[in-house]
Amino acid sequence: MNLALWAAKTGLDAQNTRMAVISNNLANTNTTGFKAGRAAFQDLMYQNVRQVGAQSTQNTQYSTGLTLGTGVRIVATEKDYSQGSINQTNGPLDLSVTGRGFFQITMPDGTIAYTRDGSFSLDNQGNVVTASGYPLQPAINVPQGTQSVTVGSDGAVTATSASNAKGTQIGQIQLADFVNEQGLQPVGNNLLVESASSGSPQVGTAGTNGLGQIQQGTLETSNVNSVTELVDMIECQRSYEMNSKAISTTDQMLQYLTTNLS
Amino acid sequence: MDRGLYVAMTGAKQIMQAQAVNNHNIANLSTTGYRADEVAFDSSPIYGPGYATRVNAVAGDAGTDFSSGVMQSTGGNLDIAINGSGFIAVRGSDGQEAYTRAGDLRITPTGAVLTASGQPVLTNSGPLVIPPSTTVSIGSDGTVSVVPQGSAPFAVTQVDRIKLVNPSTKDLQKGDDGLLRLKSGGKAKQDDSVSVTSGMLEGSNVNPAQSLINMIELQRLYEFQIKSMNSTDTNEQSAERMMQSS
Repeated sequence: MNLALWAAKTGLDAQNTRMAVISNNLANTNTTGFKAGRAAFQDLMYQNVRQVGAQSTQNTQYSTGLTLGTGVRIVATEKDYSQGSINQTNGPLDLSVTGRGFFQITMPDGTIAYTRDGSFSLDNQGNVVTASGYPLQPAINVPQGTQSVTVGSDGAVTATSASNAKGTQIGQIQLADFVNEQGLQPVGNNLLVESASSGSPQVGTAGTNGLGQIQQGTLETSNVNSVTELVDMIECQRSYEMNSKAISTTDQMLQYLTTNLS
Repeated sequence: MDRGLYVAMTGAKQIMQAQAVNNHNIANLSTTGYRADEVAFDSSPIYGPGYATRVNAVAGDAGTDFSSGVMQSTGGNLDIAINGSGFIAVRGSDGQEAYTRAGDLRITPTGAVLTASGQPVLTNSGPLVIPPSTTVSIGSDGTVSVVPQGSAPFAVTQVDRIKLVNPSTKDLQKGDDGLLRLKSGGKAKQDDSVSVTSGMLEGSNVNPAQSLINMIELQRLYEFQIKSMNSTDTNEQSAERMMQSS
């Protein structure tokens, strides 16, 4: 009905979505391997009410045109894949990747998901699994009687037992990398899945081909910067208020019209 | 009916359109690289038989405000902000070259570099495409260098250079898609004096205080127009009553 109202309404919508992104970031300040999101805004299409340079008469032209913008929308929530800080935990199956690369996880339906969260543990069969119980890919089984497990920076997993103090290699953790990691689709549980825009995974040994190294006994913390998020939140709230003010002002104008011309 | 009523009506209609432009600016307070739209009113006398006593108001673009927006540090290696004046050349959805200040870039699986709204970023020789790589960095003159996948971490390869231009802002016009284009059509020349900073983004240049004042002013102006429509109506009624009593 009224463009002024709808333009301001899109502003409210977009700021609301941005607030949801900020809240999600803040809620995940302690999530292992979490990557902060950022809402990307884009102005909506413009309506060309009067073309600039159109003929106002046969001999004269309009020196200005009139284009009305129709508001704003959020086009993307971009993830910030910068490295989170590394937290020493000393757990033998707490792993972190310094640099590029994701751990590969086998989902219950057999597909592969990717994660930066390296807080692994063992299930009752001795398999290395995530906190949700999904097995690591390629699967690694820690045999019974193992006393200690060592994970090298290249992902080689060695187990030592009382009878075998020298240790035997029981598996090799491989990392996956993507051309456009921004394109990975988050599916919750700290997991990401491949999408059309992420490209296909390039699997390799840690420390080679630009992949990062694996560090045993450490976890990568969330890379959310709470100060940035709080400043963002203030900005978001004030922008929201201004858009809401714009709606109420336009409403008052229309109200003035109906009450005074009836 | 007195034509004064129509003059006031035109005024009210144009002021509402100006309010729409102002609300659009407020809605884009957080849009990366957004440049505020400005609106101005022209007087347009109505010529006809007799003296032109009626002058309508016509709202028009007073162009775009090209002042700088707030710089925000993001740390992203694909976020670039232009220092001072200048624009990043992109390919608009119509296939023509267009210009933007929004430097939040991303890479597709095929290696094409796009803006957040999906327009391919241009070099002097077509769209910018980078090989599969582990790190991408953008230099201050727009030079893109990468470490290709599979090579040593120090094997930095220069790929291409983002086309940065600096046409006179007088010659630029905002299109329906929000991108800037040359009024005369055609392409602007690469300008070596334009520099970018990576890890930063330029915010919107909408001034919240000014937009709110504009909003209040437009609201009151609108009420003036309604008031004068109301007065015209009252005059008309008085005249009618005078005729009846005689």
